[in-house]
Amino acid sequence: MAVMELKDVWKIYDIGEVKVEALRGVSFNVEDGEYVIIIGPSGSGKSTLLQILGCLDKPTKGQVYIENMEVSKMKDRELATVRNKKIGFVFQSFNLLPKLSALENVELPLIYAGIPQKKRREIAKEQLELVGLGNRLDHKPTQLSGGQQQRVAIARALANDPAFLLADEPTGNLDTKSGEEILQIFRKLSDMGKTLVVVTHDMKMLDEGSKIIRLLDGRIQSIEVNTVGNT
Amino acid sequence: MLGIIIGVGAVMTIIAIGDGARQEINNTVSSLGSNIIMVNSTVYSRFASQPLEFQDAVDIKNMVPQVKNATGVLNSNLTVESAGETISGSVFGVMPSFFDIMNLDIAYGRRLDETDEEELRSVAVIGYNIANELFGRQNVVGERINVIQSGNSGSRKVSFEIVGVLEKTGTRLLFNVDDMIILPHTVADYRLFHMNGRTSSIFVSAVDENTAELATMATDFYLYRKFGDSDKYSILSQDAILEAVNQITGIMNVILVGIAAISLVVGGIGIMNIMLVTVKERTREIGIKMAIGATRHRILMEFLVESIVLTVVAGIIGMILGGLLSGLIAYFGRAFGLTAVITWKSIALSFGVSAVIGLFFGIYPANQASKLSPIEALRYE
Repeated sequence: MAVMELKDVWKIYDIGEVKVEALRGVSFNVEDGEYVIIIGPSGSGKSTLLQILGCLDKPTKGQVYIENMEVSKMKDRELATVRNKKIGFVFQSFNLLPKLSALENVELPLIYAGIPQKKRREIAKEQLELVGLGNRLDHKPTQLSGGQQQRVAIARALANDPAFLLADEPTGNLDTKSGEEILQIFRKLSDMGKTLVVVTHDMKMLDEGSKIIRLLDGRIQSIEVNTVGNT
Repeated sequence: MLGIIIGVGAVMTIIAIGDGARQEINNTVSSLGSNIIMVNSTVYSRFASQPLEFQDAVDIKNMVPQVKNATGVLNSNLTVESAGETISGSVFGVMPSFFDIMNLDIAYGRRLDETDEEELRSVAVIGYNIANELFGRQNVVGERINVIQSGNSGSRKVSFEIVGVLEKTGTRLLFNVDDMIILPHTVADYRLFHMNGRTSSIFVSAVDENTAELATMATDFYLYRKFGDSDKYSILSQDAILEAVNQITGIMNVILVGIAAISLVVGGIGIMNIMLVTVKERTREIGIKMAIGATRHRILMEFLVESIVLTVVAGIIGMILGGLLSGLIAYFGRAFGLTAVITWKSIALSFGVSAVIGLFFGIYPANQASKLSPIEALRYE
């Protein structure tokens, strides 16, 4: 089953007189359990694509389906629910709430989903244990290293058991060692059958993933399926 | 925050003082029971063709069975003097029943009686303050007091013998009993007022509270039959006085609360600014929350609740301050006749007002927050 489907997606920004075509007819599928790397240099339309995949923005033209629901037609309120339940965001700069503990950060999407407190605690703890932070539940983000913060963010993204994880340069703000730890977690999640979509310009990521989508000037340059290593 | 604290504190204190004043006035007015009727002449002058007279008090008493006592009342603020001390006093020319109607207690000596009235004796019963200020002691029976009358031909002393001193009483029916110099109306008229039996007012007491209304109607009937014109006199029952007084204190309260409300509005605008800054500071946080699934409605509610909590906390601090201030006023204000009473009504009102201000002035910032674009908000540094 296709977790996500893009059909001829265009995004055109109106900046006064000038029209910027950020995406020019992008189409691809993400199947259940795939580990997709979307790669491209800056200005290739990566960020725009990320916003559309993350349901933060709507395409100017074309359709986006997530689990066969057309999100490109949805209202704000419905999009918020899709973001909450179907998408797990992992940002380059972690984006944890500084006043909340690791556990509370992971609980937040569960609160928005209306999960009762006891259940919430349980799930949040489970997810933090999965990313190896079972002993850091009550730490504030400032008391954690960058790598640990990103792992909290991954736990938060997984909390509502989303259709796919959407990561934006997840290792961009990390040193090599911490970055490698994050990639290991991604591999582990992929092995567990989770669907992952990583948007990056980091060429090192080409070794990861089961499908590589190259983006250039708002168009898809190539889609290749990575059969090596079965990752 | 400070604006709300001051505003709520002020509202609380003002309402407490207002309630205190109302309670105090109610107490003094009702201290006689609710069976007193006051008749005032609207044509009181030396030359009026249809004047209210002392004889009317006698007639009302004789003709209306529901009336227990009635007295004409001549009253003027005059200078009184004794042993070189000069003060201002409230001089009354009345009939002996005045003591019953006003429920006055004698501390020393005796009250005025019919013989004083008939024989035009120059005698006086004086209040606590008069005795105290003129003589520096209470038992001054047998001393003399001079009422100073100033007219076109210069001032002149009229001397009276003190035959009685009243207990310390305070205010009765809007008159301060402690400042009274009570004279038989005959001698007061003859030597001071020169009204030829005319009077400005008649005080009537009904047999009991239940007959007060009937007594009022019967008195009105008597007066109308005499004058044939309801504009020449006015009748005030005690209930009517209470009502009028409450109306006045009520209006005063509204005005004062209105002034305090201005500080609440200023405080509210302050809260709005704080919240707008908060929204700005937390733009990124809002973006994150939206990205992980918070609806716009949810963001709106979060900021509204925060704003309400902020003002309610300020309101509670204001309430405590207002309560303390009211307590101080109740304690130290006695000397100036000020009282303050905190009621559940004022607490509930202060609480409600601060919550409403939080809601009202929180709407705009919360709405701003909820309208942020998640993309822009996430990008905000």
